[in-house]
Amino acid sequence: MKEAIELNINGDTYELLVSPNYTLLEVLRDKLGLMGTKRGCDLGACGACTVLLDGEACLSCLMLAVDARGKQILTIEGLAEGGDLHPLQEAFVQKGALQCGFCTPGMILTAKAILDEEPHATEDEIKHKMAGNLCRCTGYKKIVEAVMSVTTSSGKEV
Amino acid sequence: MGKDFNVVGTRLPMMDAAQKTKGSALFTDDLILPGMLYGRVLRSPLPHAKILNIDTSKAAKLSGVKGVVTGNDIPDRQYGIVPMAKDEYALAKGKVRYIGDDVAAVCAIDPEIAEEALDLIEVDYEELPAVFDPFEAKKEGAPVIHEGIKNNTSFAIKKEFGDVKKAFAESDAIFEDTFFSQAVNHAPLEPHAALAQFDPLNGELTVWSATQIPFFLRRNLSNTLQIPESKVRVIKPKVGGGFGQKIDMFAKDFCAAWFAMQLGKPVKFVYEREEVFISTRQRHPMYITVKTGLKKDGTILAQQFQSYADGGAYNSTAPTMMALSCFFLMIPYKVPNLFYEGYHVYTNKPVGGAMRGHGIPQARFAVERQLDLMSARLGLDPAEVRIKNSIHAGEPHSAGFVINTCGFSESVKKAADAIGWSEKRGKLPHGRGVGLAGASFPSGVSNMSHISSGAVVQVGRDGAVNVLSGAADIGQGAETVISQIVAEELGVPLEDIRITAADTGITPLDPGTFGSGVTVRAGNAARLAALSAKQKLFNFLADKLEANVADLVAKDRKIFVKGTPEKGMTFLEALKAYQYADLPMPIVGRGSWMAPADEPTTLFKQDGNFAPNYSFMTQAAEVEVDLITGRVKLVRMVTAHDCGRPINPMLVEGQLEGSVVGGMGQALYEDAIVQKGQMMNPSFLDYGFPTFLEMPEIEAIEVETDDPIGPYGAKEAGEGTQLSPAPAIVNAIYDAIGVDFMELPVTPEKILDALEAKNKKG
Amino acid sequence: MRLPKFEYFEPEDLKAAVAILQKEPAAKILAGGTDLLVNMKHRVECPPILVNIKRIADLDYIRQGDGDTRIGALTSLKRLHVESLIVENFPGLAQAASAVGSYHHQVMGTLAGNICQQNRCMYFNQSKWWRSTRPTCYKAGGEICHVVNKKEICYSAYCGDMAPALMVLNARIALEGPDGSKEMPIEDFFSGDGKIPLVKAPAEILKEIIIPKAAADGISSYIKFANRESIDFPIVGTALWASENEKRYRVAFTAVDRKPVRGKQAEDFLNGKELSAENVKAASDLAAKSAKPVKTSVYAPSHKRRMMGLLLQNAVNEAKRRASE
Repeated sequence: MKEAIELNINGDTYELLVSPNYTLLEVLRDKLGLMGTKRGCDLGACGACTVLLDGEACLSCLMLAVDARGKQILTIEGLAEGGDLHPLQEAFVQKGALQCGFCTPGMILTAKAILDEEPHATEDEIKHKMAGNLCRCTGYKKIVEAVMSVTTSSGKEV
Repeated sequence: MGKDFNVVGTRLPMMDAAQKTKGSALFTDDLILPGMLYGRVLRSPLPHAKILNIDTSKAAKLSGVKGVVTGNDIPDRQYGIVPMAKDEYALAKGKVRYIGDDVAAVCAIDPEIAEEALDLIEVDYEELPAVFDPFEAKKEGAPVIHEGIKNNTSFAIKKEFGDVKKAFAESDAIFEDTFFSQAVNHAPLEPHAALAQFDPLNGELTVWSATQIPFFLRRNLSNTLQIPESKVRVIKPKVGGGFGQKIDMFAKDFCAAWFAMQLGKPVKFVYEREEVFISTRQRHPMYITVKTGLKKDGTILAQQFQSYADGGAYNSTAPTMMALSCFFLMIPYKVPNLFYEGYHVYTNKPVGGAMRGHGIPQARFAVERQLDLMSARLGLDPAEVRIKNSIHAGEPHSAGFVINTCGFSESVKKAADAIGWSEKRGKLPHGRGVGLAGASFPSGVSNMSHISSGAVVQVGRDGAVNVLSGAADIGQGAETVISQIVAEELGVPLEDIRITAADTGITPLDPGTFGSGVTVRAGNAARLAALSAKQKLFNFLADKLEANVADLVAKDRKIFVKGTPEKGMTFLEALKAYQYADLPMPIVGRGSWMAPADEPTTLFKQDGNFAPNYSFMTQAAEVEVDLITGRVKLVRMVTAHDCGRPINPMLVEGQLEGSVVGGMGQALYEDAIVQKGQMMNPSFLDYGFPTFLEMPEIEAIEVETDDPIGPYGAKEAGEGTQLSPAPAIVNAIYDAIGVDFMELPVTPEKILDALEAKNKKG
Repeated sequence: MRLPKFEYFEPEDLKAAVAILQKEPAAKILAGGTDLLVNMKHRVECPPILVNIKRIADLDYIRQGDGDTRIGALTSLKRLHVESLIVENFPGLAQAASAVGSYHHQVMGTLAGNICQQNRCMYFNQSKWWRSTRPTCYKAGGEICHVVNKKEICYSAYCGDMAPALMVLNARIALEGPDGSKEMPIEDFFSGDGKIPLVKAPAEILKEIIIPKAAADGISSYIKFANRESIDFPIVGTALWASENEKRYRVAFTAVDRKPVRGKQAEDFLNGKELSAENVKAASDLAAKSAKPVKTSVYAPSHKRRMMGLLLQNAVNEAKRRASE
C-alpha cells in the first residue's frame, strides 16, 4: 500500500507516494531523478550511496524512504552553492582525488559529515571514518590528501 | 630534457573533475529516456547443463512485463571480442556452461516487476557432468564444454627462439619452480549497464553502454543483431571504472538493444553487484612453471615456460591474453633462449577476461618470484641480478621488439635506493622485510589489425578548439590527456579545449581502452589532427608574417616567429585574419595513427615489434608481518617508473597509486573463491578489496625517458604498475619471515601455517 | 536488489509495538536496518510486517543511575564509542562498537540491533538466485544444512561484535513483552540454535542493556580479527575482562559458534593466577576448546580455533596496556 510522505532533500520539500519497500536510494534516483547518489552494491558494503541525514553519513540503500521523513537529507546535489564548489569538492578537483568519479559523491559527503563534526580531524580519524567508502581507482592516497587539505585550513567553515 | 612545454607535463585536474564532484557526471544508469523500460537477465544456477525447455509464458503474462527473450529467439550468431575466438551467444543456446551463464531476459515497466518476472521463467535443465580444474578439463574423457574444442583447450601458443637445450647444458645452475595466481575480480564501483533506443523510422539503434570498447561493441551488436554497423551507434557515457571488465559485449548490451528494437521503446539493463562478480569477467587463474638456466653470476641463459590459464566457460580475450602473457616474459630481462608453451583451458566456471595487465601479472609473479628464489639459492643479491640481466634501449631483442627507450636498470637502482635496500634487505628484525620486482608493459599493441585511432580537431574563429576522438575515457583521464596534447600543439591552455569522445556516430575510430594504448595511439592521432589544423593556419600566416612555416611557433595563445615572441599575432588575431581571407572556417585538422609496423602481422607467425613503445618499472615493498595473527601489512611501496614523459604527472600518479593498491589486493586480500563452479563471495562484503585502512605509503619516482614514438615522448602508465606489486610484496615477505610463497593470495592463514611448519622444522 | 513487499508500522510506544508483534509472529523489528534489510533483499528473511521502533521515545540513552549503567536499545554504535562514560569505564565495549562494520554502519546501527543480528553462513547470506543452485537450506526454510549435509539442523554462526563484549561485563538485557518486562543475563539470550538464535518470544522486544557497576572494576578489551579493518564481519572476535587485583577474568568469543561463547576453559585456568606470559599462553591453548567452529564461511575452522587463542593473547596485551595508562 503506497503512502504519501514528505521528504526534505537539499532544503526542498518533496511530496511523494511511495511503497514502504522503496529504499531512500531508489526514491532519490528513480523517483526524483537525483542521480548523484550512486548504487554500487545495494547492500551497504561500498558507501557509494552515502547521503547525510541530519548531518550524519548514512547508507541510503539500507534506509526505507518512509523512514527518512522528518530528516534533513543532503545529497551531493545539495552541496555546491550555485556555481561555486564546496571546499571539499574544490579540494578533490585540485588534488586529483578522483578518477572515474563513481565513488566521489559518497566520499565527499562522508568527508563533510566528518569535518562538520570535527573540523580538525586527524588523518587517522579520517581514514577510519571513510573506510566504508570503497574506491577501486585511486588507491585512496589523493583522497586523504584532499580531505586533509580542507582540515588544515584552520578557521575556515566547511 | 627540455621542459619548455606549457600544457604537456603539467599537473592538471581532469576536465570533468568538477562535474564528478557535483554528482552531475552522467553514468549509464543515470540516463533516463521517456517511456524507458527496465530489463533483467535470468542466469543459470547450474555449472553445465542442457537447456531442455524454457517456459516464459507466466513471466510474459505478469502485468507490466513488455517482453521476454531466450536463446531460442535470437539469431544464430556467435560473437567474441577476438574474432578468431568467438564462442558466445548473447543468451545461451542449447546449453549453459557456468553458474551465471545468461539464459533469458525480461523487460518491464519498472525494475520491481522485472525482478519478479525472472522468478516466473521456468527452465528445464538436464544437468551434465562439469569440470572445474583446467588439468582435469584437458584430460581425455573430460566433459566437453564447447563442441569441437579438443581437450577443452581453446587456445594454445608456442614460441621459441634460440636453443634452449643447448643453453641449459651450458648453465651453471638450473631451477624449476611452479607458481599459481588466483582469480581476481576487477570490482569497479559502477556495475555494468546499457541503455538502448531504436528509431523504427530509420532503423537506427543507439546504445549507451558502460563500455571500454564502443567501436568493438558496435561491431558485435551489428553482427549478433544482424543489422549493418552503419545503423548502430554506440555512445559511451561516463564509466565508473573498468580495469578490463567492461571489454566485451554482454547480455545487457544485446538484450537492451533487442528489446528496444522489438518494442520501439528505450530499454535499460543494469547488473546487480553479484552479476558483476559472477557473470562478467575476472583475471584468469594461472599455473606457470618456469625453468631457468643461469650462470653462477646470475646471468640468464635460457628460460622454459609452461603456462595453463583456467579460462572459465568462454574465451573472451583468450588469444590476446595468452600472447601477452607469453611475450612479456621476454622483457625486461634478456632471455637469449626461450621456449614457451601456454594453454587456455575451458572450465565450467566464471569467465576469465582482460584485467589490468592482461595475463602479464600472473607471468610477472612467476618470473619475479623465481628471480628471488634463484638469487637466494646462488647467494646473489636480487636487485643486482635484475640489473645484470636488464635489457637496454637500442639493443637487439631476441624476439624482435624495438626498444627505443628503456629506463629499467635505472628503475631498479632507484627503487632499491628509495626503499633502503642496502640497509634493510636481510637486516631487519624478524617480521619486517623488503623486496622488489620489475616489469614492463606495452603501450598498446602494434601487430594486430584494426588497432588504429583517428581524431579531428576544429578551431573556431573564437579560438575555441573542438576535439573529436574515439578514445574511451573510463576514469583514467584519457580525454584530458588527449586535450592537453592538442592544447600543447596549438599553443593554447587546456581550458580552451572541448572534447567529444567515444561516440561511434560522431567521433573517428578508436579501438578502445585496453592494452594501455590510449595515450600513445589516440594521443598521437590527436596530435596529428592538431598539427594538421595548425599547418593550415601556419601556411596562411607564413606569408603574412614573411617567414617560413617551419619557423613559426604557437604558444601562450600567440603565433610568432621563433626567437621573436614580441612580434607576431595573438591566436585570435590569426584566426580572424584567416577568416577574413575567405578561407573556410572552422579550421579542421584530421589525423590518424597506427603503430609503425612494416606489415600487419601477428607475432604468432613471425617475430617483430610488439608495441610502439614499452614502459618499465621496478616496485619495492616494505612489509610488516604480524607474527601473532599472520596479517601482512604493506607498509610502503616505492615505484620507480619509466613511462617516457608523463603528459599529466598528476594523472600518472593516480594510475600508479591505484595500481599499487590493486596489486596489494591481489597479493594479500582478494580471491574470487569458486567451489564446484559457484563463486562463494560475490559481494563487496565478502570479496574484500582494500579500504582506506589497508592503504600503504606510496611513493613514485619518475625515471624519465623521451620516447620518439609516443606523443611528446609518452609511454603507457595505466597497467604496468599493477604487474609487479604482488611479487614485490611476496619477495618482501620472504625477507621478513624466511618463507617462500609460490601462490597468491598470501593470507594470514597461510602465513601462520607456514610459520608453524617452519617452527616445527626447528 | 529490491526489497520484498511488506506492511509497515511506526508504533509510538513499546506497548503498541508488542501488540503488533503479538498479532503477527512473523513480523520483524526494524531498528538500524543494516542487517535486516540486506537479508530481506536476499529473500532469506521476508517478514510480512516491519515494525519500525525508531520513533519510540526514550530508547536512546546512556544512563548511570544506581551504579549500573543502562543503555537504551536504540543507542547508536557510534554513540557507544564516542561517549566518555563508555570509553573510560568499558573500553572493550567502545572498542567493539568502533569495530562493527564501517562508520556508516555505526551511525545507523543500534546496540540492540547488533545484539539481535541474524546468524550468518555462506550458504544463507546469498541472493535468492544464488541459493537456487542447491536445495533451500534449513535456516532459509528448507530441510538441509549444506555445511554439514544433515537435515533439520543449522550451524550458522553468530557474528555480532557487541555480544561478547557485553558478556564479559556480565551485562543483562531487559525485554518488553505482552506480559510486561523481564531481565536476563545476556548469555541466556542466545539459544545456540542457528535457525532461531535468540531466546525470545516473537512479541518480545529488547529494550535495554544493563551493565552492572562491578564491571568497571576490571579492564575490558575487544579484539576483532577480520579480512579488512572495516566493513567486514569478524572471522573471530575475542572479548576479555580482567581484574588483575582480584585475579578474576572473563573471556568470550564471537563468530566461532552458533552463539557467542564464554571461554570457560581459559577462564577456569586463569582465575586466581597472574597474567604472566606463561599463564596467558597456557590459557590461549585452552581457548579453542570453548567452541567447535564449522565451515560456515570461507575461513577454515582450524584457523578460527587457532585465532581464538592468539587473539586472547592480544586481548590480554591490550588490557595490560590500558591498565598501565
